Amino acid sequence: MNHEFKPNPNAGRGANLDAIDRILSADEQLVPSSGFLSAVMERVHEEAAAPPPIPFPWKRMLPGFALAAGVFGWGAFEFFRYLPQALRQLSFAAPHLSATATRDLTQAGWVALACVLSLLSWLFAQRLAGGSTPI
Amino acid sequence: MAELTPLQASVRSDAAEQDAADVSRVLSGDMAAFEDIVRRWQGPLVNMAWRYCRDRSRAEELAQDALLRAWRGLASWRRESSFSTWLFALAANVFRNELRRFPTVTLPLEEAPEPAQSPRQHDELWERSLNERLRQAVLALPLRYREPVLLFYFHEMDLSAAAATLHMPEGTMKARLARARELLRRRFPQLNRPFASAPPHSSQKAGSK
Repeated sequence: MNHEFKPNPNAGRGANLDAIDRILSADEQLVPSSGFLSAVMERVHEEAAAPPPIPFPWKRMLPGFALAAGVFGWGAFEFFRYLPQALRQLSFAAPHLSATATRDLTQAGWVALACVLSLLSWLFAQRLAGGSTPI
Repeated sequence: MAELTPLQASVRSDAAEQDAADVSRVLSGDMAAFEDIVRRWQGPLVNMAWRYCRDRSRAEELAQDALLRAWRGLASWRRESSFSTWLFALAANVFRNELRRFPTVTLPLEEAPEPAQSPRQHDELWERSLNERLRQAVLALPLRYREPVLLFYFHEMDLSAAAATLHMPEGTMKARLARARELLRRRFPQLNRPFASAPPHSSQKAGSK
């Protein structure tokens, strides 16, 4: 590339500059190469001529969203259905849970785990999809 | 920071008006107007990128990327700040992200070379070498100190312009600059002497006369 340095006309301006100021403000001035402007404009024209980006298929995703909402809703419904029943059967006086309470709690636990896993996978997918934030 | 002369102020205001007019033309579909913007800002952007990486070819690539991003995002300039403030802030973002993805090879600050003994070379050569080492040492500073230093000197020691580019309060900018200077002085103790960039043997010579 064809570069050229020019001394900075403002370098060392002011009498009370310390050594660091004096050195760092006296950096060379780089002159862009002769082809720089045309290279930028070429890229701009290329980009302008390119077809617009394909929009995200929100409509096609609707059934997916509905399904996910259904699964989450069902999970929450089941969780809250079993939870009071399980809590009712809990006896804080007795050190051991009854067999029914244990079974119900286990089921509620599985439902809760499924909900958490679904949430985590959704957050992970969001993070992957939104990894590059435009400026 | 030096006060602007009336002439400088008027030139800046003319440029700002031109920028605003060109942006409006681009947004209404006149691509040629963007060429005027590029022509006006290519120099400052290449120089800004050069300070970030000290690699001439890479500086042009980075400046090109910044201009392309500016073209894509022209509509997002809300005209609350000047076009140059918006452009430099956008460019700083581009440079920071690109250099994070593909960093330039820089030594840690502690390992930045420093001429320990009086060299037997010409004074001017010694001074140039010290200056270049200091600039390399700036690139070895942690990012939070590096960017304020790069932009403060890029903006010709205009604290408010540099702070605006980084979207940072001036007080924070000042504090970071002070800390960066302290780190650099610790690394280059010879900068604390009077006539700091003169090589040690030249002051000895002067003293022996």
